[in-house]
Amino acid sequence: MSINVLHFHSYSEPKKFLSGALALLMHIMFIAMMVFGLSWKNQPPEGMIVDLWSELPKPVQEPVTSREPSKAIPPSEPLKPKPIEPPKPEVPIKPESSKQTTSPKEITPPIKKPDIELKQKPEPIKEIKPNLEDLKKKEIEERLKKIEAQKKEQEQKQELEKKQALEKQKEIEKQKELAAQKQKEQEAKARRDAEARHAAAQQVAARNQIAGEIAKYKAMILAKIRSRIVMPPDLPGNPVVEFKVTLLPGGDILDVKLSKSSGYSAFDSAVERAIFLSKPLPLPPDPALFNEFRNLNITVHYRE
Amino acid sequence: MNTTVTQDMSFLHLITSASLPVQLVMLILIMISFLSWWHIFRKLFVVRSEINKTDEFEDIFWRGADLNSLYQRATSSRYESGSLERIFAAGFGEFNKHPAGTDTEAVMESTRRAMRATYQREMDRLESHLSFLATVGSVSPYVGLLGTVWGIMNSFRSLSSVAQATIAHVAPGIAEALIATAMGLFAAIPAVVAYNRYATATDRLATRFESFMEELSNVLQRRSIR
Repeated sequence: MSINVLHFHSYSEPKKFLSGALALLMHIMFIAMMVFGLSWKNQPPEGMIVDLWSELPKPVQEPVTSREPSKAIPPSEPLKPKPIEPPKPEVPIKPESSKQTTSPKEITPPIKKPDIELKQKPEPIKEIKPNLEDLKKKEIEERLKKIEAQKKEQEQKQELEKKQALEKQKEIEKQKELAAQKQKEQEAKARRDAEARHAAAQQVAARNQIAGEIAKYKAMILAKIRSRIVMPPDLPGNPVVEFKVTLLPGGDILDVKLSKSSGYSAFDSAVERAIFLSKPLPLPPDPALFNEFRNLNITVHYRE
Repeated sequence: MNTTVTQDMSFLHLITSASLPVQLVMLILIMISFLSWWHIFRKLFVVRSEINKTDEFEDIFWRGADLNSLYQRATSSRYESGSLERIFAAGFGEFNKHPAGTDTEAVMESTRRAMRATYQREMDRLESHLSFLATVGSVSPYVGLLGTVWGIMNSFRSLSSVAQATIAHVAPGIAEALIATAMGLFAAIPAVVAYNRYATATDRLATRFESFMEELSNVLQRRSIR
């Protein structure tokens, strides 16, 4: 009986399966939260182009000065292929020849005019003759007729000559005009050539200046990087490492890629570290020149 | 430097791409976590019903109900009794077994022994699995940490073969490894909280049982003398 009393009630566990189901539900909730709520997919940074300008007014002011050379550069390139010097000899020769040709023509017209006057003078002499000799009227008349005919012929000839002279003069004038036009054209051409030469010279000078500037800043960049390199000691030979560095405006480094390894990873990584340490890299203040620096190939020799 | 920026860092991918020891640790931790949550819910229901039943029985007992009818109710198989009722049934049953006229001291002694035995059994039942929760709470962070350390070790070992070390090489491995720690903590934190809660609850029930035992023995002693 006593045993019966003690163990009368089996220890019935209340809600054993319910708690199991609840535990399962708890874990499903937890995993769902981890998978969906806390999605750890890091998305690629698309369109994350940020231009960092150290000073804001710079891009507003400087493009004005900078665009002038940049604008000047493109016209110079199409002009250059044209031989600048060949037109030079043509320019001085042609005007001289045209002047020589025009000057004799100018002289000829005054010579011809006196000829006409001389021919006209005999006319009054012939008219006086018939008045003096009345006897031989017929002969005279005949002569007169002949003379008149001659006169007429002469007049016709003179008219023809005059016309011819006028035509000649016109031709000469035309020639003169043509020559003048030619001269003008040649002069304009010469002027243009001269201007082009001048512009080209200016552009060359500007480009030289730009190239100098670029070279200067490239040297500065290299020097800055070199100064930051902690060289690994005792590498044999003179290994060379090449990096492709992508810059952002302002001198920040966007990307550094090893384009040619030196074969010594310590040296490569030292140079890469130095490139990152040396940011911001020195860049020319002129933003127009930045394109020259956007992608830099940096070559570093182990021994200078 | 030309490592892809996009890495599939989804939760499932991290788990499936983890190394085998880390995956094993994760599996163990998931099982531990499930068991601990199961026990948490079981204990929740057990302790709550126990408190309710104790309240109910004390209420009936101190209202002056007939001890014989209370005993009948407690021992009937249809009724699901609570711990306090069982203690009462054990004590009253032992008290009634002694024929009238036996030494009061001896009767009370055996009655108290019977009640104490039932009390200890009941306490053992109430406290069962609490030690499991305590173990989970203290050990599972270490288990998770083991998985994490192993995963980080592996990811650093793989880093040694890479010429240019970047965070991108290490990050996936560390993320994988850290999931183990997260799981360990997920198992441990509720287990610790539940353990503390249930330990306090069973302690309070134990003091109630003990005081009831003293009071019942007083009542029975008065009865035997009369």
